[in-house]
Parts: sequence; C-alpha cells; structure tokens
Amino acid sequence: MNLGGLDLLLKGFANSLTIVNLLACFIGVLVGTIVGVLPGLGPTATMALMLPFTLRYGAETGLIMMAGIWFGSQYGGSTTSILVNIPGEAASVVTCIDGYQMAKKGRAGAALALVAVGSFIAGTIGIIGLQFFGPILGGAALSFGPPEYLAFMVLAFILLSNLSGDAPLKGFLMVGLGLFISSIGINPLDSYPRFTFGSDKLMLGIEFLPLAMGFFGIAEILNIAVETYVAPMVKRPRLKELYPNKKEIRRSISPTFRGSILGFFCGLLPGPCTVISTFISYSLEKRLSKIPQEFGKGAVEGVVGPESANNSAVMGSMIPLLTLGIPFAAPSAVMLAGLRMHHVEPGPLLFQNNPDIFWTFIAAMYLGNLMLLILNLPLVGFFGRIATLRPQMLMPFISIICLVGVYSIRNSIFDVWVMIIAGVIGFFFRKWNFPIAPFIIGVVLGPMTENSVRQTLMIFKGNMTLIFDRPIALTFLSLTLAFIVLRISYPFLRGKFITQKA
Amino acid sequence: MGKIIRFQLETFFILILMILGFVIIFMSIGYGFGNLRRPGPGLYPFFIGVFLILPFSIVIFILALKPKRSEPLFDKYGLRKFLLMTLTFILWIMAMPFLGYVVVTFITTYCFCKVMMLEGWLKPFALSISTALFIYLLFDVWLYIDLPRGILG
Repeated sequence: MNLGGLDLLLKGFANSLTIVNLLACFIGVLVGTIVGVLPGLGPTATMALMLPFTLRYGAETGLIMMAGIWFGSQYGGSTTSILVNIPGEAASVVTCIDGYQMAKKGRAGAALALVAVGSFIAGTIGIIGLQFFGPILGGAALSFGPPEYLAFMVLAFILLSNLSGDAPLKGFLMVGLGLFISSIGINPLDSYPRFTFGSDKLMLGIEFLPLAMGFFGIAEILNIAVETYVAPMVKRPRLKELYPNKKEIRRSISPTFRGSILGFFCGLLPGPCTVISTFISYSLEKRLSKIPQEFGKGAVEGVVGPESANNSAVMGSMIPLLTLGIPFAAPSAVMLAGLRMHHVEPGPLLFQNNPDIFWTFIAAMYLGNLMLLILNLPLVGFFGRIATLRPQMLMPFISIICLVGVYSIRNSIFDVWVMIIAGVIGFFFRKWNFPIAPFIIGVVLGPMTENSVRQTLMIFKGNMTLIFDRPIALTFLSLTLAFIVLRISYPFLRGKFITQKA
Repeated sequence: MGKIIRFQLETFFILILMILGFVIIFMSIGYGFGNLRRPGPGLYPFFIGVFLILPFSIVIFILALKPKRSEPLFDKYGLRKFLLMTLTFILWIMAMPFLGYVVVTFITTYCFCKVMMLEGWLKPFALSISTALFIYLLFDVWLYIDLPRGILG
C-alpha cells in the first residue's frame, strides 16, 4: 500500500469514528448477528428492510450498516448451528455437522469461542484483501468499455445461473425475468415507455427495494407462517466452557487461515459465495486432515474452517461490487441499490470520485469486526436464547416493519402492492426451487446490460464479431464458453472417470 | 393427490411465465427494433423474451418427464394461513390511507398474531400496542417521515 493509501485509510478511520458511523456499524453488526441467529429471515431481507433507515444519513453510513448486517449474520449463523443444530443462515449449514457434535460433547463454548476468533481473523484478512485488491482492480477496470462490460456480464450471468441452486435452467429463467422487470418503464436511452400498459406508476419502472423485500422478506414470512413451528432446545454454554484447550487451539490455526484465504477468493464468484465457500472449506479440511474419520463427530477443523471462509467471502464479494459496480450476490445487489439511492455509483470511478466512501467503509469494517468479537463472546448465551423466540411473536412485527418501511421510501402504496405481489410470487418460487438471487441481480444489472448491448452495437456499427478483437472481452467470452463446455461435458466425463476407476 | 396438484400447479405457473415471454416478444416488435447500427427500444426486450421462452420450454419438458415431485405445497392449515396472511397484508394497504398508519398497524399486528396462532388475547394485544408505538417513534419521531395519520390526524 502506498503512502496515499495509508493517508486515505487514516482519513477513513477518522470518518468512521464519528458517532453516526460508529452507531450505524454497531446497529448493523448487532442486527446482523440477531438475524444470523434467527432461522428464516436472512441478511438480504434484513438489509433491504434496514435500507430506508439509512437514507437520512450519508452513503458511507448506509454502506457500513449494510455490510455490518451481512458480516454479523455470518457470525450469528454459527451460534444456532452449534447450540441448536439449526443453521440460522444458509452459510452455516455446514457448521451444524461438527459444531453440534462438539456441543453434544460439552465443547459448545469452545466451538463458539474458536469460531468467533476465527471469524475475526478471517474478517480481518478479508478486509486487508479488499483494501489491497480493491483499488488495483478498480484501476484496471477503468479500461473497461461497453463491450468488456457486456462480455463480463454474460460470464457473470452464466456462472450465477449455474452456481445458484441445483437447476441451472431455472437460474437462467430467473436472470431473464429479472432483466425483463428492469426494462419496464421509460427507457433512459431514448425516453421510450415500455411495458407500462398506460399506467403512470409504471413509467418510472419498478423499484428495486420493494421487489427485494417482497422476494426475500414477505416470501420468507409467508413460508414461516405456513410451516409448523417446533421449538428448539438450546444448550446454554457456561463461561468457563468458552476456553478452548491447547489441542483445540492448535488444530484450529491452519483451518482458520486456509478458510480465510479460500473464502476471500470464493467471494469473487457470482452466486451464493458464502455458502459455496463453506462447502469447499469443509471438504478441503477433511481431505487435509490426518484424522478424517473424526469429521461428522465433532472435528474442530470442520467448524472453524467453513466459518472463517464465509466471513472472508463477504469481503471478497465486495470487490466486484465496488470495483466494477456489478454485484455477484443478492446482499451485494441490495448494497448497490442502497448506494444508488444515495446517488453513489460504485465502479472504477468510485476510487477517483468518492475515495472517502471506500476508505471509510474499510476502516469501519475493521471496527465492526472488533465489535463482533466483543459482542459475540460474552453474549453467546443471549443470542442462543434469541433462537428460541417464537415466530408468532416476531413475524407480525417484521411484517409491519416491511409494510411501513417500503411505504416510507416514496410514500407510495403502489410500492407496497409490488412488495406483496413479489412476496406471494417469491413464496411459490421458493417452493418450486427457482433461485431468487439470479432474479434480483438481473433486476439490478438490467439497465447496465441494456446500455452495454446497445452501446456495443453502436460502437461496432452493428458488427458484433468485432467484440473478438477486444482482448479483455475475448477473455471473458472464452471463459464463458469454457465453463459451458465443462458444464455440459461434466456428467459424461464423471461417468467415464467412475467407470475407469471401477 | 398432493404430488399431482403440485406438478400441475408448477407447470401451470411456468406456462403463465412462458405466455409472458410471448407477450414480451409481441410487444417488443411493436416498439421497433431499429437496426443493429442504431438499435431501437424493442430490440433488447425482444431478446429477453426469446431468452425466457427457450429455457421455459425445456423446464416444462423436464417436468413432463419427471412428474413425481416432493411433498405438497401446503399442509392441513397451511393454505388457510397463507391466504389469511396475504389478506392481512392487503388489509393494511387498503385501510392505511384512511385510518392512518398507527391504527392500521395496531389492527394488522393483532390479525397477524391471530393468523400465526399466538394464543389468548393479552399477548397479541400487548404486541400490537408496542408495535404501533415503536413504529410511531421510529418513523415519526426519529426519522421525521410524514406518514398518513388518518383518523388520528
């Protein structure tokens, strides 16, 4: 990092140490931890829910709170996985396997302490990675023109459809549906109204936030309402149990660092990067372990590695968002929408036009990470008790926050209708395994995709083959082709490999 | 029976989305394609329509081949709860401009509690009062957002 970078970071610390930003960071990590603890409502819905409250403050305050929620939810998710065997968050599913087994052996406190410290280290490594790679990649992205963006988005959509859920075709569909929704309203390129059916309300298009809250918030509330609730049994760890023994500490060091680095690079992948990182980390730790037979029976590596990975992945996924303005995961799509509501456009120019936002964010994340460590260790029993809160008490409150929150953004009943309709459709999408993340990212990236398509056509005077003369675009398109070929041939290759092995 | 209903519902749902794809294509043609040097407003949505229809057709084909799916959508009380929750959301939307957000928040919170089977009347009542108060303090006092006050205005 050059001296300019260090100066900017110090300035970032000065900015983040304001009462408003510290409070935003604290609220973000606290709410995030609670959301991570509670099964059901995930970070995306919560971030969308909290977004209207950040509008009164600056863009960096909003970004800090959003990132705090996402970060905190990764921390909190592990608590219920270990104590109750219920993942509070999708990225903590893997933690249940060995975390709960450790709890059954009376090592719940030690597991929680190691996860908290491991997540802190992973978060710090992730922030350092973002701090170093962010500006470098942001500089590189300045050479991107519309053809490069178009090629990159094709790659992102293909990866996203394949990595979100187990049905790539449904992922494609959802991307397409998202792109369509974003095309409703007056097209800014030629001021032509499309798919408005004569409605004034549709002229400005469909707002992102009601859609996100509907698909992630209302759909989840409806899902929880129709399911039968079974109260979990929570084991409360005593304070003296929080101290891991020497053997556990020694065994957790390497998985923490491996998980941190692995998670950071997984964060660069489109799709549910935090979830993917935990599965890869778990299988990696199992492979590297000298006692793989212990996995599934309470191996500390199987808890610490994946939990470190998901925390680091959050920071990794900030890179495409902040450097290219392209979100690769649903929570970062909400962040992008939030920044746009503050009239800040993330992308390569962010580092030139608004460096304060980036560096304040980095500094606040260091502080947030520390806050999470301080919050999580002594309050672990409290968070465990939150997991037992009945949805009958919680969901009515969250429903009302969704309703009033969406209405308050533009004082628009139309937006509330959009949210409810999106929620009902989202409920069915979930039931039929249609992934929601590609849809939401399609909505956010729709206008950018259309601009790239049309500007590329205009630059190349209609001859799209000229895109192959652009090295960066060609690289992205080649990667896309390679991925498609690999995806199609994978079942055949796998079958052949298994036959040969047999 | 549940399995068959689910299959039919899912297929029906996808068919509706497929029809949407055709509507997009049809309307895009009306907006005008322009030419490749200077694309018109209909070109991009046209490709989205095509992009939608192709995978939808394949998904329907796959569903037709594998009609046996997992458990049904709703259990005995699930559908009733789903409909009542949706109706309560609609109640908030319809009544809020007239009754004001505080009163409607109180009523709908109570309804949500009862739909979600929170037993007795005291707990739902206490939760409704505290939610309405919290919403007032948060939006009116802290955030200064001017929401319709209705009969309390």
